[in-house]
Amino acid sequence: MDDLKNSLATELRRGTLTLAVLSQLGTPQYGYSLVQLLEKSGIDIDQSTLYPLLRRLEKRELVTSSWDKSENRPRKYYVLSEYGHEIYLQLKEEWIENSKVLYKLLEGGGKNESD
Amino acid sequence: MNLIDVYIQEVTRRLPEKNRADIGLELRSTIEDTLPDDYDEEDVNTVLQELGNPAALASEYRDQPMHLIGPRYFDIYVSLLKMIVPIAAVVALISMIAKYFGAFGEEEAILNAVLHIIGEGIWVVIQVGIQVFFWLTLVFAILERTDKGKYGEPLATNFKKWTPNDLKNVAYISGENSITKLRVFGSLMWTTVWATLYFYANQLIGVYEGSEVGLEFVMPALTQGVLMSYWPLVLVVILLEVSSSIYKLIIGKWTTKIAIFNTVIELISTSLFIVILSNPNLFQPEFLSYMSDLFNISSSQFKFWLVGGAIIILVLSATISIFDGFRRALNR
Repeated sequence: MDDLKNSLATELRRGTLTLAVLSQLGTPQYGYSLVQLLEKSGIDIDQSTLYPLLRRLEKRELVTSSWDKSENRPRKYYVLSEYGHEIYLQLKEEWIENSKVLYKLLEGGGKNESD
Repeated sequence: MNLIDVYIQEVTRRLPEKNRADIGLELRSTIEDTLPDDYDEEDVNTVLQELGNPAALASEYRDQPMHLIGPRYFDIYVSLLKMIVPIAAVVALISMIAKYFGAFGEEEAILNAVLHIIGEGIWVVIQVGIQVFFWLTLVFAILERTDKGKYGEPLATNFKKWTPNDLKNVAYISGENSITKLRVFGSLMWTTVWATLYFYANQLIGVYEGSEVGLEFVMPALTQGVLMSYWPLVLVVILLEVSSSIYKLIIGKWTTKIAIFNTVIELISTSLFIVILSNPNLFQPEFLSYMSDLFNISSSQFKFWLVGGAIIILVLSATISIFDGFRRALNR
């Protein structure tokens, strides 16, 4: 029962992760700073999911990366590309639309239950 | 420190060479970011625990699929496998038997001969099955990895995206004008059988006699040399028939175009076989005299009836096939 709930919840979350990450990459971030940013906003993301996700986004040219080796600990910074920004805006729009619809649906469902 | 090195190695050794250094460096920097300034082994354990199994992490990094043949190609792969394996097995069986008759040991006892053919037949079929399975799987595994349409849906049998038209291929609603896979399979099988008979005619077509050593191939009916002088044309007919079968499989129903194509093939193949049949040197003289003795008629009479009968059957079956094609095409 709990396992099933967990796997469904993971499925629900998976789609939102990309959007969450894109939303934070308006300014350059490195892996750990991104984890902290997301955690502060209450988004729980596995590090083992986040780092590969960043690479995939880079491969699809939604973000660009650069190494900063000036400090004693080198860090790889990711930032939205122009194309990525465009896609992000569209996804954001879609997400907001969808959540409105879903919210209405869920609210309506609540009413039906009480009837 | 040591544990971190091993962990990174465990991840990167599973990745393509060109990404190893970069991913390794990034992993190290993030792991060190996550650790407190003054860390001990317990802290390292916690961080690595959070990153999880190195194999799982590496598989997240890899772009390549972790399966051999995915949902996009699986369906098409299975149906091709089901179609090609039996055909290849039949070709192998027939040519095995042909070779066996060609090198027929005279002293072999009947039981031995039968056992030999059965035994070798099973072996040949298994071998061919494994070969086909291997090569087809290899081709599809490569397709799976080179296909750029990464976000694609599963493909229908015609290698295109599914459309409602594909429903017409399904046997359940097969009307008069549908071409079922079974039919395509049958015609491919028929092409295979006659082509094999053609190329091994001197070892398969002829007089068989029952003797104490079993069924013995006494003499061939046809002169292989004469037959082979037509091989380029025969090859053209084989290729035409095979391509028509594949085309039918893709389109999935009789259309006027297919009916015309079918007519052209029937005309070409029938006239080719009539030409071959009427070659005066086609039949072995020993065969003709043997058969005419058997039926108590003159050798030329026998030849007349044989060739005439064969031509009539050829023309009849071609006519039926042509008309049947048009009837099905126009019957929608």
